[in-house]
Amino acid sequence: MPPDAELEPLMVRYQQGDLSAASELVARLSPALHRFFMTQFVSRRYADDLLQETWLRIHEVRHTYRPGEPVLPWLYAIARHIRVDQYRKARRVESREQQVERLPETTTVDRATGVDLDALLAGLPESQREVVVMLKVSGLSLEEVARATRSSVGSVKQKAHRAYDKLRELLTSAGFSK
Amino acid sequence: MKDPNIDEILDRAAKAPHQVDPALLGRISASLGATMRPVRPLLPAAQLAALLLLTSAGIALVFAFALGTFGIQKMDVAEIGSIFPALGIFTWLVALVCVAEMTPGGLRWKNPSIMEPLMTNPAMLLLAVLVLWLTIDAIFFHDYAMDFFVSQGIPCLRAGLIVAIPTGIAAWLLLGRGFAVNRTAAGVAAGTLAGLAGLLMLELHCPNFHALHIMVWHTAVVPISGLAGALLARLNPHR
Repeated sequence: MPPDAELEPLMVRYQQGDLSAASELVARLSPALHRFFMTQFVSRRYADDLLQETWLRIHEVRHTYRPGEPVLPWLYAIARHIRVDQYRKARRVESREQQVERLPETTTVDRATGVDLDALLAGLPESQREVVVMLKVSGLSLEEVARATRSSVGSVKQKAHRAYDKLRELLTSAGFSK
Repeated sequence: MKDPNIDEILDRAAKAPHQVDPALLGRISASLGATMRPVRPLLPAAQLAALLLLTSAGIALVFAFALGTFGIQKMDVAEIGSIFPALGIFTWLVALVCVAEMTPGGLRWKNPSIMEPLMTNPAMLLLAVLVLWLTIDAIFFHDYAMDFFVSQGIPCLRAGLIVAIPTGIAAWLLLGRGFAVNRTAAGVAAGTLAGLAGLLMLELHCPNFHALHIMVWHTAVVPISGLAGALLARLNPHR
């Protein structure tokens, strides 16, 4: 994830109508956003759709970014909204059509440890998984996660702490004793 | 297994490259380019909150002067010096939360940190406002007589809600350029702001100082407006 200081000037240029800045933001931020969606148990195709939908929404509400404010919490707040919104819509369709499309088509396995990140995070409740992904995978700070999720830093710390307890349990039961 | 070990495992897994189909990125960029034009960013949060505060106070004042300012005329200096500044502070805090709710990744409240949970959750802020307001009422109003409790209460509740309606509409219009990532929370915040305008009008206008009249009928305007705001926001499919 690029440092926020590099993103702010790009956001300002994007707001001024500079397409090259928009394209650069898309290129820089999309892998992390895509991964954010992938770790929430969606297929790659569905993550592609969510990514596209997120950028369309970002484009629609790009004026709500205030220059000088951090970009990443703004971006992830919108991405979260899209994910939750689409999840609700998908559940409505799923309940009508009795379709289930849940399993990720790709996994993120660390070769050194053999740990599958997606499988590991699957053991966490959604709110804890989201916090861990933003903190550890997307590289946001505690304060940025608090802003993105409209919660207090204390609440983010508590979720991260509980997530780590659960991860410790999962890793220990999977044979990682270090 | 300690936290640094978990950190290490997560860090290593997170560093694994993650590719997105370049064709998809190209399609996204092309779709943004099709409607690219300069946009004007939202006003600074403090300016928007000040506009909301002035609008809600202005609407309350207009209604209070139209109906007669009998309430404030009957109050002593201590009551005026406590009740109206308290309402001003509540309205300012709720206005800030309204702005934050309409801005993705909105404001962060840092000092004092004890306020942070309230400023990130409009329902909690509404609850805190109600508790503080009832405490202020209990300090200043000690006549617990129940004369004409309902017959005088209903008109006050109705008048407060009538003031809340234009305030809520004005707040929604002022914040209309924003984007609520949580519509229900934004609705609660806007509704609470509107309810506070109704409460301010009642304090300026109503000369009935029976404690229960104020605690029940005047105060009720705020949660009813907050709830109405939440319901209306949920029904609104766009913002």
